[in-house]
Amino acid sequence: MSSFNLSPLSNFAARLRDAMGTPAFLSGEAEFQRFSLELFAWQFEHNSVYRQFCRARRATPDSVCDWRNIPALPAAAFKELEVTSLPVAERTRVFHSSGTTQQFPSRHFHNSESLELYETSLLAWFPARWLSSRPVCKINVTTAGSNLFEKGGASKGGVGASVISEPGGTEPLSFLSLTPRSGEASTSSLVHMFETLARKFAPRNSTFTGRVGADGGWEVDLPGTLEVLESAIARHHPLMLLGTAFGFVQLLDHLTAARKRLQLPDGSRILETGGYKGRSRALPKNELHSLIRELLGVPFHDIVCEYGMSELSSQAYEVKQLPPRAEFQRTTLHAPRPTVFHFPPWARAQIVSPESGREVSDGETGLIRVFDLANVWSVMAIQTEDLGVRRGDGFELIGRAVLAEPRGCSLMSV
Amino acid sequence: MNLALPNYFLADLPPGATLTQTLIEEACQTLKRNRESYLVQRTTPAIIRLLGELAENWLQAQYPFRAMALEHGPKATGFSAATLAAGLDGFFKELTAENLQALLVQDLGQAQRLDNPTAGSAEQKAQRAAIATGPELLAHVTAGRIPNPAFTSIVLGLLTRSAQFVKCPTGGSFLPRLFAHSIYDADPKLGACLEIAEWRGGTAHLETTLFQQVDCVTATGSDEALAAIRRHVPPKARLLAYGHRVSFAYITKESLSGSSPKKIVARAASDVVAWNQLGCLSPHVIYVENGGAVLPDHFAQMLAEELARREQTEPRGELPVKSAAAIASRRAFYEVRAAHSPDTQRWGSENSTAWTVIYEADPRFQLSCLNRFIYVKGVRSLAEVLQNADSVRGSVSTVGLEAPEELATEIVAQLARWGVTRVCPLGRMQNPPLTWRHDGRPSLGDLVTWTDWEQ
Repeated sequence: MSSFNLSPLSNFAARLRDAMGTPAFLSGEAEFQRFSLELFAWQFEHNSVYRQFCRARRATPDSVCDWRNIPALPAAAFKELEVTSLPVAERTRVFHSSGTTQQFPSRHFHNSESLELYETSLLAWFPARWLSSRPVCKINVTTAGSNLFEKGGASKGGVGASVISEPGGTEPLSFLSLTPRSGEASTSSLVHMFETLARKFAPRNSTFTGRVGADGGWEVDLPGTLEVLESAIARHHPLMLLGTAFGFVQLLDHLTAARKRLQLPDGSRILETGGYKGRSRALPKNELHSLIRELLGVPFHDIVCEYGMSELSSQAYEVKQLPPRAEFQRTTLHAPRPTVFHFPPWARAQIVSPESGREVSDGETGLIRVFDLANVWSVMAIQTEDLGVRRGDGFELIGRAVLAEPRGCSLMSV
Repeated sequence: MNLALPNYFLADLPPGATLTQTLIEEACQTLKRNRESYLVQRTTPAIIRLLGELAENWLQAQYPFRAMALEHGPKATGFSAATLAAGLDGFFKELTAENLQALLVQDLGQAQRLDNPTAGSAEQKAQRAAIATGPELLAHVTAGRIPNPAFTSIVLGLLTRSAQFVKCPTGGSFLPRLFAHSIYDADPKLGACLEIAEWRGGTAHLETTLFQQVDCVTATGSDEALAAIRRHVPPKARLLAYGHRVSFAYITKESLSGSSPKKIVARAASDVVAWNQLGCLSPHVIYVENGGAVLPDHFAQMLAEELARREQTEPRGELPVKSAAAIASRRAFYEVRAAHSPDTQRWGSENSTAWTVIYEADPRFQLSCLNRFIYVKGVRSLAEVLQNADSVRGSVSTVGLEAPEELATEIVAQLARWGVTRVCPLGRMQNPPLTWRHDGRPSLGDLVTWTDWEQ
């Protein structure tokens, strides 16, 4: 795309989209630094909410020379204020934070350009290689870079290249999402993400079995889901099953109650994300994955977790390392050691001490701060309320900091 | 925690020791036997004497149990030694023979009610007398890290000559255990009528076993925890359940126009600092009436300065990362607000979450994330306070009040009608007297069973 005659943010986004095609490019410190500082300057100029926040911190593009010092806007700001540089007329889509108990959801405004960038970022970093129903080789996730997706995943001009067309690949996966479709849940970034993936990887074979319940929360159509699962089993057709943790718990509880234990066809995959939001009982991740393995017959290494937020435009994935072949049999029976989430090279996570705000040492726990270059029209540097353990340049997710959000009328937090 | 203490109580067992139903059953049988042998025949004056002496000991710096509490307490409880010392002093200064007498008279009418059938003047006229008897075996289910509720429960149980089983939450037995050891040290036979154990709340098989052995259970905790306990207590046993409560302070403009706003600020800081604000009696919000010589936002600033000073002498101590993260996230939220509106201002410790003051013009009641995180809000009147605290109506324990005498009576009457169960001067919110009626109920009176004698 030509960058001629575009607004500075559009121009930046166009260059970023190009860079996403060669992710190694942004893995370099100098490039990330250059892109970050440039975007910070544009956002300072064009985003009044953010500018005011930075001024209160006495941080300006002149005073900030390192991306690590770019003021991170608390995610909660998206609840109270319009954190965007898009004029009202250009806001064609808004993503809200999920959950039914919040009085004021986060609002992340988008237009067609920002959505295009969102989708480019999503497809470029989605571990497409992992979708292949062939036995997967060891996936190296030790450094952030171009390694979550291997060759066919996101080369320039082939961003998000589908495994369907990959030479040597076997039968494509069909997609089953436990969420509603965007027709019912247009403000969910997660649904947009799942639909984008389904469009790309299973354009003719995707089903969404979630629906919005009477109370506004999501439910899974359990008989409908079972029907799809059982049909896939009957046809020996591997499935990509996507959903929130609470969607999976609803499904697993249903299977337990019905005394059913399924064995999804070999090559089936699970993508699990998000928390519980009070929509089901909450399970520790290991327990949830053990139940998935037990009741759906999908081994641990075929379960991938995603970490994303409506306030971001890029996602982090936790792709489990396969054990060496000799250990394979044994370890598939046990949950693998905690694995690590990685953002793409155009987004970086820092784990910061809640006491000092400084980055913690490796292995220590702190709050997750994300610098997401794909957040062009909102704010790149976001301070989340999630806790993580720093593991190299990735992180292990612990969960939401308790009591983060002030609540006026609930004694729940006492 | 491995202390050089003998193994008198279940909580003294080495970490990793598994509690079983049999262990609990046997402990309860032993407690009942020991009570019969050592406790039933004790007189009230003897118990009062013992408790008074015990409290005096706890106030001495060289008393071994106090020294142990201050040495190992910071690691075991998270409170700094200074916070612990202040909290222990607050409790044990109240535990005097005189106050125990006053409690007996208040709750039972006569100080000898637990010893003999006695009668007040009205009863004498009606030719009646009555004697009060405590439960044989009393179970206390305690919550949180502040030891006062467990200490008070043990004191009341001793007064009623009950054998007692104190169940502490995981990691919460350190101070109750030291208190129990101090009783054992003072009088081993009384100590033998007391058991301290620690397990995760809601461990059904242990709790059911315990409750089957007792005739009365006192419990503090969340509504959810209390509901679970209620399900496990058999009909023959009585349950005295104390749910979570919140508290706030109210400062009238008249008091701030007096000569000592600095003293009022210092008292407010004491309430925030005491037990790191973690008790049901600690304030979440300090309401400051507009129109006084010190405006609410200025009061907030003065309070911030005072909290910074207190941190030097009475540091908050380290927090688990989750609690610190809650404070950091809450601060971040108000940083955004403050950057966009003068109606919100914030002050906080640098490079730590040790203390935070949030001023808001918006009078809506706000639950604090505690650990010395306090809201100061401006209001026009008490009516406005109550209107804005409607979300917590029915769950408010204490109001710390600063008001001139001529206004105080009417304010207290209004608070009572609204549902507040305790009003005290600012600076004493976390230090209720022994005679405090917990959640508006007579704590000692609710434990006993009466035998009326119509002569």
